[in-house]
Amino acid sequence: MQRNTPTPGLPLDAEYRALTRRGVLLRLGLTTGAALLAPGMLAGPGRADTPRRGGALRIGADADPIGLDPTKLAAFSSFDFTALIYTGLLRWNAEMKIEPDLATGFEQPDDTTYIFTLRQGVKFHNGQVLTAHDVKFTFDRIINPDFGSPRRVQFIDLREVTVIDDHTVRFDLKQPSAPFLAYMATNPNGAIIPREPGDLDAAPVGTGPFVFESYQPNVEFTLTANRDYYEEGLPYLDRVVFRFYRDNATILSALRTKAIDMTWVRDPRVASPVTRAMPDIVSAPGQTSRTFPVWMNLKAPPFNDVRVRRALSLATNRTECVQTVLAGFGKVGAMIPESHVGGWDGTGEMPYYAHDPAAAKALLAEAGYPGGIDLGDYIVVAANPLDVACAQIMQQQWAAAGITVRINPMETAPLLAMWREGSFPTLLSVALAWNPDADAILSYLNSGGDFGRNLGMADAELDAMLNSARSELDPAARSDKHMAIQRHIAEQAYCLQIYQYPLRWELWWNSVQGYVPLSANIRSFVRTTWLTA
Amino acid sequence: MSETRPEAFEAEAPAAAPRALRRRAGGWLVLGLGLAMLVTIVLVTTLAPLLAPFDPSATSMNSLDGPSARHWLGTDLIGRDVLSRLLWGGRTTLLITLVAVAIALAAGLVLGLLSGYLGGWVDQVVMRVLDVVFAFPVFLLAIAVVAALGPTVPNLIMTIAIVYTPAMARVVRGPVLSVKRWDHVEAARSVGMSEVRIVTRHVLPMVASPIVVETSLTLAQTIFTVTALSFLGLGPPPPDPNWGGMLAEARQFMELAPLTVLGPAAAIVFATLTFILIANGLREVLDVGSRR
Amino acid sequence: MATARTPRSGSPILRLVAVRLVWTAAILLGVSVVAFVLMRALPGDFAIAAAGAQFVQAEVLEAIRREFGLDQPVWVQYLRWLGEALQGDLGRSFVTRRPVTSEIGPRFVVTAQLTLIAALMALAIGGTTGLLSARLRGQTDWVVRLVNGLSLAVPNFVVATLIVLMAGLYFPFLNLFNYTPFLADPLANIGSLLLPALCLALAVSVTVSENTRAAVLEVSSQDFVMVARAKGLRPRRVLGSYLLRNALTPVITVTGLQVASLLGGSILIETIFAIPGMGQYLFDSITSRDYPVIQAIVLLAAAVVVFVNLLVDIAYARADARVRYE
Repeated sequence: MQRNTPTPGLPLDAEYRALTRRGVLLRLGLTTGAALLAPGMLAGPGRADTPRRGGALRIGADADPIGLDPTKLAAFSSFDFTALIYTGLLRWNAEMKIEPDLATGFEQPDDTTYIFTLRQGVKFHNGQVLTAHDVKFTFDRIINPDFGSPRRVQFIDLREVTVIDDHTVRFDLKQPSAPFLAYMATNPNGAIIPREPGDLDAAPVGTGPFVFESYQPNVEFTLTANRDYYEEGLPYLDRVVFRFYRDNATILSALRTKAIDMTWVRDPRVASPVTRAMPDIVSAPGQTSRTFPVWMNLKAPPFNDVRVRRALSLATNRTECVQTVLAGFGKVGAMIPESHVGGWDGTGEMPYYAHDPAAAKALLAEAGYPGGIDLGDYIVVAANPLDVACAQIMQQQWAAAGITVRINPMETAPLLAMWREGSFPTLLSVALAWNPDADAILSYLNSGGDFGRNLGMADAELDAMLNSARSELDPAARSDKHMAIQRHIAEQAYCLQIYQYPLRWELWWNSVQGYVPLSANIRSFVRTTWLTA
Repeated sequence: MSETRPEAFEAEAPAAAPRALRRRAGGWLVLGLGLAMLVTIVLVTTLAPLLAPFDPSATSMNSLDGPSARHWLGTDLIGRDVLSRLLWGGRTTLLITLVAVAIALAAGLVLGLLSGYLGGWVDQVVMRVLDVVFAFPVFLLAIAVVAALGPTVPNLIMTIAIVYTPAMARVVRGPVLSVKRWDHVEAARSVGMSEVRIVTRHVLPMVASPIVVETSLTLAQTIFTVTALSFLGLGPPPPDPNWGGMLAEARQFMELAPLTVLGPAAAIVFATLTFILIANGLREVLDVGSRR
Repeated sequence: MATARTPRSGSPILRLVAVRLVWTAAILLGVSVVAFVLMRALPGDFAIAAAGAQFVQAEVLEAIRREFGLDQPVWVQYLRWLGEALQGDLGRSFVTRRPVTSEIGPRFVVTAQLTLIAALMALAIGGTTGLLSARLRGQTDWVVRLVNGLSLAVPNFVVATLIVLMAGLYFPFLNLFNYTPFLADPLANIGSLLLPALCLALAVSVTVSENTRAAVLEVSSQDFVMVARAKGLRPRRVLGSYLLRNALTPVITVTGLQVASLLGGSILIETIFAIPGMGQYLFDSITSRDYPVIQAIVLLAAAVVVFVNLLVDIAYARADARVRYE
């Protein structure tokens, strides 16, 4: 009945120290022992039992995958599935440090060159042997603009991939790129596909610990163990079955009645009472990996005036939002969540974060709105109850400072369209999908990108700061740069960040052993999971 | 379904009189009860600003509290008073229902009268177009239209009006078809009475009963449709409360605060029951055969 | 609530059927146009829904649109869809990229099963209460009417929510959301559909009940039943061989006409009980803008409604003809 300690929020800097030393060839012992080290370290007492082989792990999922081709899929909901089917050259370990996976190590002769050595004898699920040609094929596909891969934006610094021999491959970058290794380690961004892929959406073929068996949308997604998997003795499970449920109520009922062994819920309020009432359920709140932002249309009045934006920030009582919406299971947020390089931990000062309706009114008056201001529609995701709840609380808070808004909960597709085009009238909230590197979050405010332009960003100083941080390979220096960027964004109030919270709250019965939740928001450690009899 | 036959409007056979009288008395009773409930709802919701103990949108830190002396029906996710939200929510639900049915009734009357009375190609065109609308299951059509237009109060009203117009038009058209061949209508025509006058003076009064009953039934169904749409998240936007949305939200947190489900559920049942009683009462009193 | 149209007197049934079939095809064509245009008028398309709140370049969205032909004008898309549909190919789901027919098939079976069980329950409940009401006429049938009124007054999604609530409070170890596929375990499958079907059946049972009552009363006042009674046949016999047989047709017809409302209601019930039927699928497909699936479901639902109406009309026409020839 022990509980696993939740993975602590470790910064990402450790892996850089280990991996970025130039010319050092890293090698990882390929024994099972080494592979199991990571989850083993987190094990509590009573975990000395030998893993039992066999059995099916049933996971309750709240969303179907949309596409299973890692170079093509765009939907976040697909990541849960690709994470078990495909693997990449690198991966995250349980402490969110980067470790070799399909590679045995890499050399970095200079800031823009990486030479990876591949494992020998790795087979794809179709029996084909993995070579450097598959790696080249995968990344050629990603960086080919005609293919239109959603991954391209993450590998935009990648110039070309060259096969040196069957098991050695060189990556040349256009400029030093801090996020490059993080993307390589993240599934599905760095996932390798075979060079004759066929239709991977219908029949996915990877090198991962589990093989696609069948998928019945809204019902079940079944995987079987990959008997040729390259880590000796893994996986322990025979099968992994995802079952689909639609909401908190049904998913928790399924967990309670053991129709599933494991799941995650999005709302911490729902998770905590379940674990209180049922001590045999292990719970692990994820890391704070997501923020709740309010985007403003900066192109037009009134938000082209920094005083109005600052007033809105001052009128917001962020602490009250954390307490009421998240019942305290979260922190005040800035641009970068705590779990990323240079993420803010929600304590200390941020410009214009102190709740001060009087100062907000004064700023509004100065901006020419002495009698308050009507900001019109505030668009939120109708399907996200936390977002809608927070919007309603802020509506009340803002009203106290003479700022009125009309909440307009919108279906997701049209909301995203407006958000991308920057065509929303004044205010819009949508939380960003999880991303392995802070650069992806900050890129939104870069006036050089489509999104930043559409939003109305035009801050050369910020752009320079962003580009400099992106090329900064020293983690400590990059962290400082990120903090300075966040202060600058808060100072100018380009985007109102309210709170940060765990994207998911994982729950599982204690009959599930050897599992470690990963703050990359995928279930990589199903490969070391086993079930007690 | 069975078209209302002319006999239905004629006096009952003497032998059946006592039973019919008793039935009618029962009908009046049911109708009275329904109307009393309707008055209650209308009073309570229109007086919501006076009756509601709290501002329905005012949030507080008391999230998902159970019933207490302060909050009779507890509080919702963001600490708002459920009772106050129920009272205010009734306004929106009733407003949408009444206005939408009024529009459907008007449109149905016009289309049904045109179609039934003029006949010929007008009838063909109108009925065929309505056939297409009618081929969609009502609720599915409502979901599609609301999703397309966005769930605002005017859009909800329009959608529901569209969805119920064909049924209304058919109910009007059926009796009109038979009534227009009756002697006194023919007679009116032969003495040169204008068509409009014939329709308003002679045709409409004769078909009034089934239309009144159909309208009351549609009201009950509309309450269902409005609350069901908001239950699916296609209701009027927050922070305005609405019953279906409140029920759906309470359902999400049933594990934490089971009692918050009961308030909105009871409100929806009360409102539906009100219109069903009125419809059943009217049917007995006006003696219109059951058509459903 | 469809109003059945009786054919003009004298027209043979075959002609009616032929005319109605042509008309049915025309209606379905109309429905397909409306559904197609309506869906594409929705703001936001599949590419945007699939990309979600991620940093994606515009060319990625363009590539997705190109792949699914969404870059073409709507009428071109429609004609292409229609051409394929006429050859029995309803296209591929954008989301799963598998043929729509094979995606919808299993779900249609589930919804059909749910609807069928609900219809049977409604017939059983409504038939019994209706018969009781007719037999007890004038004295205690108000009890039946009261029960009916209440069943009608509690919308199916409210009943379903309350059932789930009670189960959670009093039987926390009972899993109400354990839908089992029929092929996996037929008994468990039907078992898992009973409660949801009951929620759906309640309102329809009232209609059945009222119509049973009316039909029994009407038939029992007819000459041949009077004659049977006068001949001294036992009441049970009269009820069995004369009353029920003659009253059954209209009752079944009425139940058939409720198919549309059952289909609509299944969206709510499937959502609450997590049953992977068509209603839930339609809702998901609207959210993800999976046009081919939306199109196919709307068309299928409309086809079911139209054909049931057609069958009802034919049944009426036959009944009419019999009356005339006798």
